[in-house]
Amino acid sequence: MKLAVEAHLGRLEATIDVDCHSLGVVGPSGAGKSTLLDVIAGIEPGRVVLDGRDLTGVAIDERRIGLVPQESHLFPHLSVRENLAFAASDIDFIASALQVTTLLDRPPRILSGGEKRRVALGRALASEPSLLLLDEPFAGLDALRRREAMALLADVRRRFNVPMVVVSHVPEEIIGLTDQAIRLDGGRVVASGASPSVLRAGETEIDCHFEGEVVAPGRVRVGSTELAVSVAATGRVRLGCYARDVILATEMPRGLSARNCVWTGIESVTAAGDAVLIALNEPPVKALVTREAATALELGAGKRVVAIIKATSIAYLGTA
Amino acid sequence: MSPVVLSLIVGAAATLVSLPGAVAVAWIIERSKAPGRGLLQVVVMLPLVLPPVVTGYLLLWLFSPRGWLGWTGVAFHTLGAVVAAAVVGFPLFVMNISLAMKAVDPRLETVARTLGCSRWQAFRRVTLPLAWPGILSGAVLAFARGLGEFGATIVLAGRIPGETETIPLAIYGLLDRVNRDHSLEWLVGASIAIAVACVFVSRAFDLRHRRRLGL
Repeated sequence: MKLAVEAHLGRLEATIDVDCHSLGVVGPSGAGKSTLLDVIAGIEPGRVVLDGRDLTGVAIDERRIGLVPQESHLFPHLSVRENLAFAASDIDFIASALQVTTLLDRPPRILSGGEKRRVALGRALASEPSLLLLDEPFAGLDALRRREAMALLADVRRRFNVPMVVVSHVPEEIIGLTDQAIRLDGGRVVASGASPSVLRAGETEIDCHFEGEVVAPGRVRVGSTELAVSVAATGRVRLGCYARDVILATEMPRGLSARNCVWTGIESVTAAGDAVLIALNEPPVKALVTREAATALELGAGKRVVAIIKATSIAYLGTA
Repeated sequence: MSPVVLSLIVGAAATLVSLPGAVAVAWIIERSKAPGRGLLQVVVMLPLVLPPVVTGYLLLWLFSPRGWLGWTGVAFHTLGAVVAAAVVGFPLFVMNISLAMKAVDPRLETVARTLGCSRWQAFRRVTLPLAWPGILSGAVLAFARGLGEFGATIVLAGRIPGETETIPLAIYGLLDRVNRDHSLEWLVGASIAIAVACVFVSRAFDLRHRRRLGL
């Protein structure tokens, strides 16, 4: 998507012009992130151009921009099914993609926070939006639920192929979901660029999601490699691994407790704040290393390295 | 027609007639950004603070044969009692509907808009059903208020037995008479019973309103 936004509203003084698949918006509370989403959705005034279509002055209901608000805002008088069907007639596919099929006849008030968010996401997707706005989609979820939700969202993005603007005050949450990001602070854009580049020191929990096939107890085939993973499920599974937990070596180490040492190639090298994010071919994970390490090992695209991942560092995030 | 039946008919008619207007006015005051809604609020609330007799006088002036609405033939007719009850009960009705709408998160309407609903559709599919039990609760109170209407009714509609003589007017008429058949006590009792029932019904709707909103 090509998205240009110009917002002058209260403290928010932002001009954005990006061309990416999904945009991350990070920054502290009160930075104007939610207001920016409201401007894009047409709830608040501002200049918005999406894929060459000038939406400035176009009514909210004619923009076809889906909004998943932070508090979900499900319609309390409607069941989950009726919420999903609010703007669509066929909801079976969406219900199964968001794993809410068993909740369809429940009223929203008895759902958990994570379930509400999945329904709100499904409701927005059902309206077939040309852009999806997600406001703090993982706030309030515990660590594991958050990783599950991120994996699900990555899956949704792939399946529905809908561009997203994802807002979060925790950058790590959106690095795995977006390719471009901006950092808002005090209503102004203070940084923008490739998602990892807007990271700051310490914000390094970049989660990488990938899928594999369980071939034996504790063994998962990912592409052409096989990884040791503590997983009890069978069939296709979704896995997650933090980039800071992946170690790179230029030769095969010996006598190591880590169960996974695999030769792989470097796909790309991106500056991530004061560190370097290295994307690997197989398994498709990223490794976060310091600049010094990257320089010392002469890490660059195309180079062959050994990726070292502890089996316990790979989290099982549900069946695929 | 007995004063009790007449009162119930007049009260119900007044409530039904004012329902759409009260919902519209409450929406304008509560949800729209229309200019002059402050003035609208003042005008709508006037009958609440004006002496009912004054309201009745203004209505009579409006509905008198030479008034703007004289052609309707409402004055000194059952319809006059309905108009008086509707006008005097209107502020209470609007206030209750406003409260019911205020309790509905406006963000829900906004979300409905992002899902492709026009303003009207968002109101009809989200705010109205969510506020509906609250609106009914207000309707019952407005109905009860209409039953007790005296001042404006007697000025605009007079006290015509069987036609405009509602419970309060009948009670007034019986006050200075030697009362042998206990009809006065009967009317007072009926009045109290209806009022108590209305309060209970209104409360029940109110609880449903809160449950529906998940409060």
